[in-house]
Amino acid sequence: MKSKNIFLCVVFTFFLACLPAQGFAKQTLVYGTTEKITDMDPASAYDFHTWEIFYNIYQGLLKYPPGKTNLIPGLAESYTISKDGKDYTFQLRKGLKFTDGTPFDANAVKWSIDRVMALKGDPSWLVTDFVDHVEVVSKYAVKFVLKNAVAYFPSLVASPPYYPVNPNVYPKDKIIRDPSELKGGKLVGLGPYKAVSFKRDQEIVLETNPAFYGDKPKNDRVVIRYFADATTMRLALTKGELDFAFKTLNPSDINDLQKSKTLETIKAQGPYIRYLCFLTDTPPFNDRVLRQALASAINRKALLKKVFLGQNSPLYSMVPMGMWSHTDAFKVAMGDGNVALAKKLLASRGYNENHKFTFDLWYTPTHYGDTEVDMAAVLKAQFEGTGVMKVNVKSAEWAAYKDNWKNKVMPVWLLGWYPDYIDPDDYTNAFAGTAGSIGMGIHFSSPLWDKLFVDGQIITEPRKRSAVYRQIQSMWVDDVPTAPILQGTLYLFAQKNIRGIMLSPTLQFNYGPIHRVK
Amino acid sequence: MKYSPAAGTARLISRFTGLGKKYGLEWWILVVGALIILAIVFMALFSGTIAPFSPYDQNTGPQLIGPNAVHLMGTDNLQRDVWSRIVWGSQTILRVAVLAAVVSSVVGICLGLLSGFSGGWFDRVGSLVMDSVYSFPGLILAIAFAAMLGPGVINIMLAVAVIYIPTYFRLVRGQTLSIKEELYVEAAKAIGASRLTTLWKYIFPNVIATTAVVFTLNVADAIMTEAALTYLGLGLPPSIVDWGMDLAMGKKFLPSGHWWLITFPGVMISVLALGFTMVGEGLAEILNPRLLER
Amino acid sequence: MKKSLARYVIIRLLLTIPMVFILLTIVFVILRVMPGDPVSSMLGGHAPEKVIEQKRKELGLDRSLPVQYVQYLWQICHLDLGESMIFKERVTKAIADKLPATVELTFFAMIITLFMGVFLGAYAADKRRSSRDYGIRLYGIVVYCIPVYWMGLMLQLIFGIWLNILPIAGRLGARTFASDFERTGFYVLDTIMARDFTALGDVLIHLVLPAFTLGIVLSGIFVRLTRANMLDVLKSDYILAAEARGIPHRKIVYKHALKNAFIPILTMMGLQFALLMAGAVLTETTFSWPGMGRLLLERIYLRDYPTIQGVIIVVALVVAMASLLVDVVYAMVDPRVRY
Repeated sequence: MKSKNIFLCVVFTFFLACLPAQGFAKQTLVYGTTEKITDMDPASAYDFHTWEIFYNIYQGLLKYPPGKTNLIPGLAESYTISKDGKDYTFQLRKGLKFTDGTPFDANAVKWSIDRVMALKGDPSWLVTDFVDHVEVVSKYAVKFVLKNAVAYFPSLVASPPYYPVNPNVYPKDKIIRDPSELKGGKLVGLGPYKAVSFKRDQEIVLETNPAFYGDKPKNDRVVIRYFADATTMRLALTKGELDFAFKTLNPSDINDLQKSKTLETIKAQGPYIRYLCFLTDTPPFNDRVLRQALASAINRKALLKKVFLGQNSPLYSMVPMGMWSHTDAFKVAMGDGNVALAKKLLASRGYNENHKFTFDLWYTPTHYGDTEVDMAAVLKAQFEGTGVMKVNVKSAEWAAYKDNWKNKVMPVWLLGWYPDYIDPDDYTNAFAGTAGSIGMGIHFSSPLWDKLFVDGQIITEPRKRSAVYRQIQSMWVDDVPTAPILQGTLYLFAQKNIRGIMLSPTLQFNYGPIHRVK
Repeated sequence: MKYSPAAGTARLISRFTGLGKKYGLEWWILVVGALIILAIVFMALFSGTIAPFSPYDQNTGPQLIGPNAVHLMGTDNLQRDVWSRIVWGSQTILRVAVLAAVVSSVVGICLGLLSGFSGGWFDRVGSLVMDSVYSFPGLILAIAFAAMLGPGVINIMLAVAVIYIPTYFRLVRGQTLSIKEELYVEAAKAIGASRLTTLWKYIFPNVIATTAVVFTLNVADAIMTEAALTYLGLGLPPSIVDWGMDLAMGKKFLPSGHWWLITFPGVMISVLALGFTMVGEGLAEILNPRLLER
Repeated sequence: MKKSLARYVIIRLLLTIPMVFILLTIVFVILRVMPGDPVSSMLGGHAPEKVIEQKRKELGLDRSLPVQYVQYLWQICHLDLGESMIFKERVTKAIADKLPATVELTFFAMIITLFMGVFLGAYAADKRRSSRDYGIRLYGIVVYCIPVYWMGLMLQLIFGIWLNILPIAGRLGARTFASDFERTGFYVLDTIMARDFTALGDVLIHLVLPAFTLGIVLSGIFVRLTRANMLDVLKSDYILAAEARGIPHRKIVYKHALKNAFIPILTMMGLQFALLMAGAVLTETTFSWPGMGRLLLERIYLRDYPTIQGVIIVVALVVAMASLLVDVVYAMVDPRVRY
């Protein structure tokens, strides 16, 4: 008897020990989006969706915690800055390996950065404009030597072009578009997930990476479904085929879904902005009074109501709301939709009902979504509503559009901006600093402005930096190289039983914390 | 089929005055089609009087309201009146489709006459090129052309015109080849008529009858192609009022229940194309029931 | 017998080559005359002039038009469609990924077109001069005038939104994963081969609306054609003889007469295939179908020359092959047609 009991106990214990260690069954989340993956290569991808995937399958030396904008250690445990602000030495986490066994160390970091600089992909300027070279100090210490001291370098390091990749898997001299081109055919980084299958424009399947050093994700699998249009995605969501959908639904769908009883609305202020660019070194808009006139005529609230059915927020400065140093500069100086001011400004240049100010307004029909057509139509109506302007609306597809601004074809055009790094510099210097302005086709140049931009880069004391950018914003109202229009709101819709979704102004979206409850 | 020029034309006229009792359904199809075309042409010619609002007016009423007494076809998200946009849009589609058909018929007929008449190397190469284009899906070529030329009324008209040239070419070339062999053409040559005269006086008039039918059907097809191109976002700038574009813009409001944005433009496109088709088919059956082996 | 059929096939095949070649040339020239530089589109807004020039040289775009043309022809002779200019992928792979989707759609659409067209046409011929005949003939004219995409939208509205019984877009539902069964890209085949019948059901139900939309719009032509041919056939002597022998009327019409009327209809199919491909572009846009039509549109916006040219070539080949197939079948049946 006794031996039989003992035997049973042993068997039972053995059985218990073999049970899976998880506390919940395998959870698969289905995530719908209308975005597209471009190249599966941090050295080349320059769009937010592909970066979002990288946030989840790779890691940077520094990173943002889900939903927050402060930097915390990632693959690097700490870093020190030299006195002149030009050398950043990072101490890396020890003992990490890529899943094929390749060790993660300072060599991998240097190799990856050198690769980005050599391949000269789209986002490589985020490295090459700032970093002179990288040195391996020791097995787990790596030093970045910068060309100039830059206060916001750490936020640059958190962006995907700086992500270390596996030297044994990524080819040194080629940009990878598809995981099938890699050795081993699979994409594995040091992040919480690995990509197990990928079918372009249809789906990508991510599973948890057991070798991840940080918090284990609360789900086991995330499948991203790619939709060609928002209408289909909305219907799939309401039918329950998707657990959540993000970017980019039509305004009418967003309004409907917000009223839905079965779906949760998760909203966050986005960091992306829309604005008008002016060609400032050629008539007619080399005259800043005319630029001011257009900027004052824009009625942002009315535009948002018509085009976006009331969604998104009016923006009165190139530095977005939510970012430190933001001021509502344009509102304070001009108000919103100030027809009287516009007329006065135009009258000072001799324009009236009988002699209207005529110009071409350009937009691009698909790159920013199909609301662009409406935006251009509404702006035209608003400008012509002053009675002293006549607007010809023109359009060009993205390729031709970029050509056009390079070739100074467009006097004023609509544009959008997603930040490369979270800092006021990215929203200002890129347009009004002499070098950046040429690249954007605006050709604005002023030594005073350039000096302020350099100050902004070098000064590290937050209050002083803030003062610099506030001054730039108030100067913006006088010189108007660009006229801000709106700031986007991020909308995500999820089934009511989904938890853990955190949106962030950094647009970094982590899948780890998301899970379904019963 | 034996033709002689004068008799051919007379027969045409007498057939038209033959009236409905003789031809039944075909005649009525023709009449209804013609009425539809007239109604829409009327709409196009008198847009200013018929439309209650300007098609660009962004303050005609509440946003996205359904059909009612003030807005017969509702309003869109920019608060524009849909009915007004339909009325003004008729100008665009008629202009593009008819012009395109005219251009392609003129070019196609000339090339076809030349090719059929001269024969030899020119004819061989011409036929091969035309056959290749003809057998290829026209819309896809039109898309490539429209993308190349960029937005604009003339541009889209050209893009549409190009794909129909082979139709006329083949038709006219075939007819020219067979008429060339006719006795009276030989006779004309014998009495010393120049080649140009032969072409103009003898061949051309006989070709015209068939071409007329093909022309109306061509306009119907051009309407569909124009609407398809603008639906895809190619061909016209948004400052021009167009049914296909309004359809494309209205699509995204469908799940929210705003059905009028796409229903009315779609119906109008169908009705206009139908009008021309009916005229064409009616004509074809009346002129010669076996004229078109389509 | 066999020899002359083979000769016919070979000659027709050879004739296809100049046709594809001509189309290729036309598109090649068009593309390079288009405004909009693909290189700057590729490299993004921040690229310096030097890099753009280097890239342009790399892609061979700095050479003159005739030189580029000859280069491209040489490439084609090696059956190489080149690499996409915008993305780093082989054009053949991009097309091979999307081609099965388009072919599957057009195949089912063709079946629907034939079925509806032929049977309605035969019925109308049978019931000649009745109101049903007029109704069907009217249908034949009207249906082609309905824009494919509008028909699609209306059907989406009715069946997908109001009645909510059919899906309105894509080839698969969001919870069916292609990676589970995909092999050839023809999902109907793949799911059968994988014995995954739930997936098969999902695939078929997603085919319903798009195939039906495309099929219906083109059925009008077949209705009229069938009716015209049937009218002829029904007048012939052997039909009279069959009636005299007492064969049931329905059998006469739908078996004997239809069979004989069918051959000319078959030849029409070859020409209609081009219309089907054109309609497929519009259907794919409306139903978010991941096929070649959408690929073409997307790449035209991006000025991706090699992919655009590749798609045109493939479409021309597909249309030519379909037409060839039909003509071969016809030639098999009727030896008089052969060369």
